Amino acid sequence: MEIKFETALLKLEEIVRSLESEELELEESIKLFEEGIKLSVYCQQELERADGRIQQLLENIQGVLELTEVEINE
Amino acid sequence: MKEYFTVSQLNEYISGLLENDFTLADCWLKGEVSGCKVYQQSGHMYFNLKDRDAVISSVMFKSRVQKLRFTPQDGAEVLARGTVAVFARQGKYQFYVQEMQLYGMGDLYWQLEQLKEELQAKGYFDRDHKKALPPIVRRLGVVSSQDGAALRDILKVLRHRAQNLDIVIAHTAVQGTGAPGEIAAAINRLNQLDDIDVMIVARGGGSFEDLMAFNSEIVVEAVYQSKIPVISGVGHEVDTTLIDFAADIRAATPTQAAQMAVPDNAALLETVLKHRQRLIQIVQRDLLVRAESLDRVMMQRIWQQPESILKNKKNLVDKFTAELQSSINNSYKDKSACLALTMVKLDNLSPLKLMQKGYAIIQKKERILRDIETVQIGDEITINLRQHRLLAKILKKEKFQHGDQI
Repeated sequence: MEIKFETALLKLEEIVRSLESEELELEESIKLFEEGIKLSVYCQQELERADGRIQQLLENIQGVLELTEVEINE
Repeated sequence: MKEYFTVSQLNEYISGLLENDFTLADCWLKGEVSGCKVYQQSGHMYFNLKDRDAVISSVMFKSRVQKLRFTPQDGAEVLARGTVAVFARQGKYQFYVQEMQLYGMGDLYWQLEQLKEELQAKGYFDRDHKKALPPIVRRLGVVSSQDGAALRDILKVLRHRAQNLDIVIAHTAVQGTGAPGEIAAAINRLNQLDDIDVMIVARGGGSFEDLMAFNSEIVVEAVYQSKIPVISGVGHEVDTTLIDFAADIRAATPTQAAQMAVPDNAALLETVLKHRQRLIQIVQRDLLVRAESLDRVMMQRIWQQPESILKNKKNLVDKFTAELQSSINNSYKDKSACLALTMVKLDNLSPLKLMQKGYAIIQKKERILRDIETVQIGDEITINLRQHRLLAKILKKEKFQHGDQI
């Protein structure tokens, strides 16, 4: 699914609204339901995608950027 | 009786004199701070300004105190700008301070003002140029000292708000002569990574000089040119540095910068899950409603006793079949009577029938002769009777007279 998180979230909200307020044919509402579930899964994945690393960005003597894991004591 | 003032009138009179003096209305005063006190309730600051031989009561109102770039302490030499006016209730005149700076910093402040105007003219502070923060942040850059309190404050907030956020620290000195170049380089370094969603440039509180690096043109320029949105969080609430004007978002402190950088991912996730829950609820309810209507329909008699409806239908079919049969029969009878009649008519018209009556068909060379013009005297013709044929020759053509006709 090649859409942005915010677009997906808006679409999801729209689907919930349609299902709440409109009289839809069974087929149509099942279709919307499936799409809504897919969008919610996508949004969740997007939110949980990063993995919480802390890295340090340094430039070495050759002028090349290096990322290294660091521990910072809070 | 002699003319006299009331005390109020006299104070009012003096007050009027002071108010009309242009020098006293706006002047710079050099002095040493003493007895400085901020009233908690009002937030106003009261202190004396003195030199070796004299003293004047001074007041700074809350709105002005908030703009101070340093915390006045007793003994500090300051340069204060303000107005002299009468405080009638206590019968004394006071210095009402609008702005105040540490004495000796004057030149620095002035230079800073100049630089600010220059950078503004270059468009570095333009509102149109500011970038929006992304809706979700997965990878966040921090430009700060790796040993500073600012970084620890930032990490504390981020840990709480977004556990799985990636953080990339671009370490830099944040004070001293090398600091401006290092800060700018760190900002540029982060910009060479292509997956940083937003960056914080931060430093904890310090003196005016401590924060000077964040007033340098090279840092402001790096912030302006950053492709990654920049949040500035330098010093305490009261501190303002030029980087704050160029940043896409200005936070009052490093902690606030962290709060502003990361949309509350947990809250967003909660929203998403709530929507999903709602979807399931709605569709379940919808299906239930439909199932109930189906049940109602199924409860009707015909479904309970299907044979009754079949029986009715069978009766109908039988009835229609019988009607159809009889209608076909009737129609057939009519049609055959009609046919017989037509055949009689047709028979009567048959040339054979006519020939029976004595008519003949005359042909000349296979063609039936219809009028006199097609034959000449002497032509051979064939006369067809019912069972025979006669060959004949035309001897004469004669027209019937009236009354001769057969």
